Amino acid sequence: MCGISAVTGKEDVVAILYDSIRNLEYRGYDSCGLGVVSKGEVTVRKNTGGVEEVNKKEHLTHLKGTTGIAHTRWATHGRVTQANAHPHSSTDGRFSIVHNGIINNYEELRSGLKSQGVAFLSETDTEVMAHLIARFYDESGDVEAAFVTAIQHLEGSYAFCMVTSLAPGQIYCARLGSPLVLGVGKTANFAASDVNAFLQHTREALVMEDGEYAVVSPEAVTVRKLADKALVLRKPIRIEWDAETSKKGGYAHFMLKEIFEQPQTLRNALAATQVGVAHLAQQIRNARHAYLMGVGTTHYVALAGQYFFSHLAGRYLPVVSSDEFVDLAVVDSQDLVVAVSQSGETFDTRRGITHAKTLGARTAAVVNVMGSSLSMAVDEVIMQGSGPEICVVSTKAALAQMVILQRVALESALQDGRLDSKGYEAAYTALREFPDQVSQVLNERSGFIRNLADRTSTYHNWLVLGRGVYYPIALEAALKLKEVTYLHVEGMPAGFLKHGTLALVDASLMSWFMVPPPSEKELNQHTISALEEVKARGGPVIGLVFEDDARARRLLDYAIELPNVPPLVAPFLQLIVAQLFSYFTALKLGRAIDKPRNLAKSVTVG
Amino acid sequence: MKAVILAAGRSERLNPFTETRAKSMIRVAGLTILETLLGALKDVGVTEVTLVVNHMRQGIEQTFQHGAPFGMSLDYVVQEKLDGIGAALARCEPNMSGEPFLLVYGDVLTTGQPFRPVLEQYAEAGGAVAALTLPKSSGEFGNVYLDNDMRITQLVEKPENPHLSNYVFAGIFLLPGTIFDLLRKTKNDMEATFQSLIASRNLTGTLWDGNWIDIRRPWQILEANRMLMDLWDRAEIHASVRMEGSVHIEGPVRIEADVVLGAGTVLKGPCYIGRGSYIGNNALIRSYTSLGPESVVGFGTELKDCVLFGRSVLGRLSFIGDSVIGEGVHLGTGVTTVNYREDGTEVVVETEEGRISTGMLKVGAFIGDRVVIGARHVLAPGTRIRSNHVEADRITLNSVV
Repeated sequence: MCGISAVTGKEDVVAILYDSIRNLEYRGYDSCGLGVVSKGEVTVRKNTGGVEEVNKKEHLTHLKGTTGIAHTRWATHGRVTQANAHPHSSTDGRFSIVHNGIINNYEELRSGLKSQGVAFLSETDTEVMAHLIARFYDESGDVEAAFVTAIQHLEGSYAFCMVTSLAPGQIYCARLGSPLVLGVGKTANFAASDVNAFLQHTREALVMEDGEYAVVSPEAVTVRKLADKALVLRKPIRIEWDAETSKKGGYAHFMLKEIFEQPQTLRNALAATQVGVAHLAQQIRNARHAYLMGVGTTHYVALAGQYFFSHLAGRYLPVVSSDEFVDLAVVDSQDLVVAVSQSGETFDTRRGITHAKTLGARTAAVVNVMGSSLSMAVDEVIMQGSGPEICVVSTKAALAQMVILQRVALESALQDGRLDSKGYEAAYTALREFPDQVSQVLNERSGFIRNLADRTSTYHNWLVLGRGVYYPIALEAALKLKEVTYLHVEGMPAGFLKHGTLALVDASLMSWFMVPPPSEKELNQHTISALEEVKARGGPVIGLVFEDDARARRLLDYAIELPNVPPLVAPFLQLIVAQLFSYFTALKLGRAIDKPRNLAKSVTVG
Repeated sequence: MKAVILAAGRSERLNPFTETRAKSMIRVAGLTILETLLGALKDVGVTEVTLVVNHMRQGIEQTFQHGAPFGMSLDYVVQEKLDGIGAALARCEPNMSGEPFLLVYGDVLTTGQPFRPVLEQYAEAGGAVAALTLPKSSGEFGNVYLDNDMRITQLVEKPENPHLSNYVFAGIFLLPGTIFDLLRKTKNDMEATFQSLIASRNLTGTLWDGNWIDIRRPWQILEANRMLMDLWDRAEIHASVRMEGSVHIEGPVRIEADVVLGAGTVLKGPCYIGRGSYIGNNALIRSYTSLGPESVVGFGTELKDCVLFGRSVLGRLSFIGDSVIGEGVHLGTGVTTVNYREDGTEVVVETEEGRISTGMLKVGAFIGDRVVIGARHVLAPGTRIRSNHVEADRITLNSVV
């Protein structure tokens, strides 16, 4: 996801353009840039960092011009570098474009253009488009025709905005699969990824449909079909709402949006660098000790990873919470420290990595934000590709990290010969089929989960219990529930219960059990006996059970039944249901879901 | 942007209340459903509305006219034959300009502002948009499936497994002008039209996280009333309200203009007293009571969890609980609704389709418009009384000389 914006007016628009990408910054914030037409030239300034940071480096707001484009980036392909930031221009600088989306056939187009002698300055798919337009313009001498012809050569999903020195007051833009809205103002007209970009200046919005392009000047907005250039007559609608609310893509909260995005983040986690995964597995095998480190949710991700390594790769990895790492870990140059972090800016985790590096250890990280401090600091980095996670409470990023650690464990098992290629393939088949199973559960059971959460939201004290790999899942589920609902929730191993905590059990304490599938016989039975202990003492019980687990179901006061999935992914499915349950409980209790009290997205202080 | 509200249907399952009014004229928490919908539309800047009407349309037309009293512009399309949603919508084509518009089912009741998220989603995604909600009970509605981008990928029949329940259409849509071409192709079959939008990947959803209810049975009027009143967080008492002596008020009460409250009356919010109502001395009006305009409550009468549409008279020393009472009803002295079965089981209501459990432990009576019930009657839980019924006083002594 990226944010694009364009403005054309009768007076200088640079300040408006700058504000527009500040308002789009939630869509991506690893680099940004502006391209402005003035005195028959397009001037581009861009760099890495958030919008304000780039302005300090590049003085974006010192530019002058009455027409321009702007971009704020969330890298998916191509590193976070100044060259890869948008806008991208044709070699002669006449055409500059910003793009949100993916061009699937860019490699083919790129090699075609290269063979014709075009030099590329960036690693992006976008740059192809700038060169294509220039080439078609040279053939036809018509900017609009060149823009449309170039687009017709693209496969993928996109929204583009283009400016050119050949038509100084015009913006050319097109939409297929990525959002694009035009803003119709009195003294300026706009195009942007969403209305937040221009809501301060006009509330008249004309929503473009897929397969349409527009030519926008300060006086007029003309929309046509890409296929036949047929004129589209559509009136703008008046936006009566405030900017803040319209960023969630149809969801009431980012948390719910991010939970529902998990089928895609799972696919992205599976698509993340195979070479990197294999290399990290190798490094872990070579190390004397390979530590896993994270804090908060990522600590639980690391704990889940610990179970994956024990089970799959027969290797015990020490896990240390980042905040305790400096005090506890004993590392030297024979050791490896693998950090897990969504933001890559977490203070405690960075401190742990710095400490490990000082002692000569090798370092690696699984990170979501490209270009973040942690991703730069470590020797190896795996980008999880989960897209921006805006809700303070982590959902999709945590799940993706678990999947990546599981992949590293599988890889390590394969390299060690503990897993043959058949077993390895079977595991990957389970992982590849999993996103659709997640979609199915989200699409079929959300209502049931919500109604249950409504009913149980009166309980103020909770235990979340699990055994084996379901134990770190229980810890993470407990953290989700507590941080978003402000209720008292404790996660612990189900077997630990009778060694003390059982004293708390009464009718007012709700116990939530992660019941493993019956195919995991021992785990399942041990979990059920803990469940019976709670029942026997009059404690109410909710359980996450798989379809054919009649025994567990009979004992439960409330059951959330899940379709059978392979044991490898079963804990992930339970985690997703726990996230959804936490969300609906918080909704019922009227909590500040996306920004729970006292919490911040990335804890960058010690 | 314009809107179409579908308000033609008969809704016979809501009898006796829909014998004499369109479903959208049912009044809960002080306002009719249609008033609530039009207010919310106006709030998002939609002031041109086409209402599709048939059943009891005079009531709608007389109340709303052409919208001038509400600062809106309303026109009416009469659906002479009740031949489905698609046909109802198709009849509106001449009133539309080919631009995208909002389609609203006239019986949808929500808390808050349900139209804004639909417009927001349209501004982001274009195409057609459907508001989606999670209903309280599964099993009455077909489910939708969504992909990562909120595109609706499937519309399925209601599932049988009780563990399966998901988002359903909330009855609010934003549709492109081209919908009328699709309707022609599907011979005005609305479901086929939605399926065709889904097949062409042109329908996205927006999740409505507020409360939502489709009132299908008379007792759900009580549920809807509670749902709306639960969100009240302040008392509003019109300056013209007169209290004749000491009146005790607690909680979020709304008391409209020209209400008179007799001495010794106790009001416990949330409750609503409509314009021009008279509450006699020592009445006890407990929470979730909604009295429509010009209601009269006699001395010492107790009300709880009940909805009165207005202009009814409740005699002295009565008890009305968990009940819905139409317009112009007259209950004599000492009428009592029994709202609880001795055996503590769910109350069952006799309907044209047989006996149906309400799923509720406390249900009183459902009394149609202009019913007269004489003094001293005791009504069993779940009693339904058709409009205009007259029941004489229960007199135990007469002309003793």
